[in-house]
Amino acid sequence: MREILRKLTQKPKNGEYLEIRLERIVTTHIRIHNGLVERARITEDQGGSIRILHPKTSWWFLSFQGWDGLEEKVELGLRSAALLPKSMIGIVRGGAFEDEIIFRPSEDFREKLFGEKIQLLLEYARIVQEASPYIVSAAVEYRDEWRSVYFANSEGAVLFWEKPDISLSFTATARSGDTIEVYRDGVAGRAGFELVRHRESLAYRVGKQAEALLWARSFPGGVYDVVLDPVLAGVFIHEAFGHLSEADFSSRNERLRKIMVLGKSIASPVLSVFDDGTLEGLRGSSLYDDEGVRTQRTYLIKEGYLSGRLHSRETAFLFGELPTGNARTISYRFPPLVRMTNTGIEEGKVSPEELFADIEQGLYAVEYVGGNTALELFTFSPAYGYIIEHGKIGEMVKDIVLSGNLFQTLGKIDAVANDFRWTEVGWCGKGVQAGLPTPTGSPHVRLREVLVGGQGYA
Amino acid sequence: MLEVLRIARERGLEADLFVQKVWSKHIEYEAGVLKGYTAEELVGCGLRVIRPDKRLGFYAFTPPFVPHEVVEKALEVSTFGNTVEFSLPSYPSATEWKDFVDSRLESITIQEMVELGAYIVEHVKATHPDVLVNISITAGKEERALYNHHEEEIGFQRTFFRVFAEAVRVQDDDILTVYAERSWGNRDIDLEDLLKEIQLKLDLSARVVSVPSGQYPVLFTPQGCMVFLYPLLYGLNGRNVIFGKSPLRDRFGRVIFSSLFSLLEVPREPWALGSCPFDDEGILTPGERVLVEKGKVEDGFWDLWSASKARRKTTASGFRRSPLDLPEPSFSVLKVSSGLRDRETLVEEIEEGLVVDSLLGLGQSNVASGVFSCGVQLGFYVKGGEIQGRVKNVMISGNAYDVLKNIKEVSRDSQWVQGSMLIPYTLVEPIQVNATK
Repeated sequence: MREILRKLTQKPKNGEYLEIRLERIVTTHIRIHNGLVERARITEDQGGSIRILHPKTSWWFLSFQGWDGLEEKVELGLRSAALLPKSMIGIVRGGAFEDEIIFRPSEDFREKLFGEKIQLLLEYARIVQEASPYIVSAAVEYRDEWRSVYFANSEGAVLFWEKPDISLSFTATARSGDTIEVYRDGVAGRAGFELVRHRESLAYRVGKQAEALLWARSFPGGVYDVVLDPVLAGVFIHEAFGHLSEADFSSRNERLRKIMVLGKSIASPVLSVFDDGTLEGLRGSSLYDDEGVRTQRTYLIKEGYLSGRLHSRETAFLFGELPTGNARTISYRFPPLVRMTNTGIEEGKVSPEELFADIEQGLYAVEYVGGNTALELFTFSPAYGYIIEHGKIGEMVKDIVLSGNLFQTLGKIDAVANDFRWTEVGWCGKGVQAGLPTPTGSPHVRLREVLVGGQGYA
Repeated sequence: MLEVLRIARERGLEADLFVQKVWSKHIEYEAGVLKGYTAEELVGCGLRVIRPDKRLGFYAFTPPFVPHEVVEKALEVSTFGNTVEFSLPSYPSATEWKDFVDSRLESITIQEMVELGAYIVEHVKATHPDVLVNISITAGKEERALYNHHEEEIGFQRTFFRVFAEAVRVQDDDILTVYAERSWGNRDIDLEDLLKEIQLKLDLSARVVSVPSGQYPVLFTPQGCMVFLYPLLYGLNGRNVIFGKSPLRDRFGRVIFSSLFSLLEVPREPWALGSCPFDDEGILTPGERVLVEKGKVEDGFWDLWSASKARRKTTASGFRRSPLDLPEPSFSVLKVSSGLRDRETLVEEIEEGLVVDSLLGLGQSNVASGVFSCGVQLGFYVKGGEIQGRVKNVMISGNAYDVLKNIKEVSRDSQWVQGSMLIPYTLVEPIQVNATK
């Protein structure tokens, strides 16, 4: 296959950039619901895409099923791209890497019998269910995916990589009268079946937490000082700043480019933020991105100053900078976009306990449900929280959504603790491409005066 | 395809095979610059089998495939599958429906799509030169076919057309994003109407005003109504009812919402996206079906699986998110009943309140209980019956089920959201509004 791709990618004769991606994805998906195997599914998806940039026109992209007829498709693409209307697209070229990245997990999930997977999940489902008498629905969801990708481009890159992904999640729904609470937690990783073993205590905790939420009271909306736990702080930085660092949002927007000029002070000096696709073993990592560019560590904010941004070949060209290896796609069906890899807040010097000390009345926001951004304005939600009173963690509270403003909120981070950790279960959607693994990492972080939309008003 | 079913039948299985073929063409403008062209040709197949002991198996694949191998895979899965209480039905006769295929979309050229995009960019820039315009236009065709172990086969085709336009304006430390979308099964999308919507939103957004926290009447635009419709659709889902996860579980047949609120499913609505002669399990759809009648909850969405658990009939509501997924209860086309007066009049009668068009964090709230708390992405402050300007750093919160109780009026004019939900402007009072000082 590599020889065929090498030959095909040398077809452009008029300075076109050409890339070919062939992909085979085999997944197993099992969902246990209230003790029954509710969903059991194996899928095999084999397809590919061809992307061409003609130097005088614009991008031409075709995705297709199967791996047949590649030569005709490339020829069709070269002919069609030349006929597109004139436009102004350019990219940074180069990068003739040849590589083969093979993954050897300690317990290969492809070799596990379907029955063995089911047995383990049924046991977890029982633990979730029996954790509390208030559980009306206990779901265990398991997914493994083995992805093999051939990638080649006209710059001379010929790559083959294997990317396994495995995840296990527990969802408990607890009900008391009309109060219905859902709690979810899980594990995910670039790993083998070993990742999902020995998760009994997590299963139990999920059931217990769903019940605990029934008795938690709603948190009144208002403006508060907030401490984010490492999980939520990771989601926060992804929404609050990570997306704006994706250079496709600003590459053709002169005014936004002025706002995002490197070297500008954008946050308080305690804050440093990075994106790093090279970290071994994390779900967002990869030696090369989906344009065949080497990944790297990029500082987005260094001690409060804007210090970098994330690029594809195209946005790097528009900025006159170098690609950062952040062009990613969720599958052969879509062209790559500028995406985060593993994004985090660098750890600070103080202990997490110190963050609470001077808060008279505030909120400790823990874990996450999700986040959303419209560039300037963003929201992010903890799974639950605790009231902070006179520097002490108090009662559990729920139904909380935090909202922020790009130009105000980063400056309100006034303390970063020294307990950094990664959260691997995160995923991100951009445009129509949802479900891209984007781990986030952070220590505990304190924000002053955050708008909290709870129920009612304080 | 029929070979797969023949083998399944020989193995003593009930089986159905769902096959979806889609082609689409797509162009994009980024900040007014033509970014490129994307084409897609996809086929996906899902094979569902039920063994004589009623265990269910499912295997999904993309071509090429070997018929006996896919049956073996589905059988392997079924060894551990859930025991089901339904049988795969016979399909309706093929004479009762027509396809919704617009030949103008089948033959649409790249040039035509590029020109449409350029037209929108040019017209938005003409009235608002300081904005950047992003456009996405998609045209395509979808074929759905179902085959079963009775050796029956049914199918239908439809075309689709989507136009999405977004205008972004950056001024000092203010980033404004407004957007509008139109989706439909044929070429008859009214671009002038879309342009008017974008221009109106930009005009109303020119000034940023503040709103004090408190309780206000809120007029939700059709798109803004999703904040209470999403939880309602979750509650009407038969699976969620069966599992006790729906607050509506024991409320069917009772009046629990405002008498101004009625919700219909209209699966045969011509050219609406989602319209279909049968669902993804081969059950013939009705012309019209009442879900909520004047505040009274009449019925939900039931696929074969959930209907069998509830010992009732399906409502032709088994739909698949993709050909690689099993069917789940969902809707085809929805209509929320409209009222008597137009939206301008409703705004004029608001002494002090908000108009809310789009929200951030819809999916982060508790969709099961209906509790929500969302950032207002685009909303306007109304005083003395007039829109004063755009609000920022504001959140609204409440419970979707209370909102449905507190509907004060619905407008005469409705709009299609995502081409599959026809929704009026809806006035709700009170809604909790929290703002930074």
